[in-house]
Amino acid sequence: MSGDSLSLDLPLSRFATDSCEATTLYRELRKPLLRYLSGLGLPLEEAQDVAQDAFLSLHKHLSGGGSQENIRSWLFRVAHNRARNYQQSYAQRCGEPLDPVFDTASKAATPEQMALTNERFHRLNRAVKTLNAQERECLMLRAEGLRYREIGEVLGLPTSTVSDVVERAIKKLAEKCDV
Amino acid sequence: MCNFSGRLVAWMDGELAQNEVAAVRRHVAACAECTKCVATYKDASREFAAYYDAATRTPPAPSRRIPLWIPVLAGAAAIILVALTLMPRTVTPVPAVPQVAVAALPSVQYETSAAPLEPAGKPHSAARRKAQPENWTMIEPAIQIAIPAEAMFPPGAVPEGFTYVANLSLASDGSVQGLHLQP
Repeated sequence: MSGDSLSLDLPLSRFATDSCEATTLYRELRKPLLRYLSGLGLPLEEAQDVAQDAFLSLHKHLSGGGSQENIRSWLFRVAHNRARNYQQSYAQRCGEPLDPVFDTASKAATPEQMALTNERFHRLNRAVKTLNAQERECLMLRAEGLRYREIGEVLGLPTSTVSDVVERAIKKLAEKCDV
Repeated sequence: MCNFSGRLVAWMDGELAQNEVAAVRRHVAACAECTKCVATYKDASREFAAYYDAATRTPPAPSRRIPLWIPVLAGAAAIILVALTLMPRTVTPVPAVPQVAVAALPSVQYETSAAPLEPAGKPHSAARRKAQPENWTMIEPAIQIAIPAEAMFPPGAVPEGFTYVANLSLASDGSVQGLHLQP
């Protein structure tokens, strides 16, 4: 899991009680959200715009007396839906889908380590490309520290389905990468 | 294949219900195949997390692909350009004699008894046309003027009633460039 992700036990809803805590919420969630949007294939500027819109919607939601439960999944769901809209309009404009581009470059200390890491990432890249969009998204949200229930809320899936999808995706990766 | 094989990742992630956790833990401890699977899934999860972290560290550059309308517009522009280049052109003939305004003429004009002043653009008399050789094509002068013979030749040098056709070339500033007389 990513070291930047939130602690799973963090009661996020308490952050929205005042502006200082809302700022904390922004600081905590902005980076994982940007990473997820980037993982969906959005260019940097678009990812930033979508994240900003999502936080603006969150602010309106909270200031309008909206529910303070499950803020993290609420935010990711809004951003995910906007990213979907962008991907669809991109596909219409450019005639091809906006697929995620995982361009990994190792920053290992020695050239040997770098070559090994790059080879490992290339293998993973090939394996990730065999996953469908739902499997990729489940794995990315899981890597951001979201619980299965939250992943289900973001993607509109039952929790049991998320469990099956994650299990299937991990097995595929393990087989393709021979780990 | 164990009965628990479909719940190993959820168990790893702490996503199983409390009443299932103990049963899976006991089974994994006793089953070598499931223990190996759990180790493999943990490795795969760790690998994916590292890979995802490295991949999203530098987001993709903007505008990786060209919108469809750009090549379509460029193609249409190229077709129009080629069509304009290959299209036959109609050349507007340039008049041989420059059109000179009356104001550009010399200020002094002469009257002659032999040929009265005719308005510009009018055809010459039929007799004069017959006197011209057949292969000689006369360019219609823009302006016709009559100059008395005494002004150009000594008295008596030109028989009475004899006329010349003068081709006068004028520069753009109105000055005379050349004078050619034809009987």
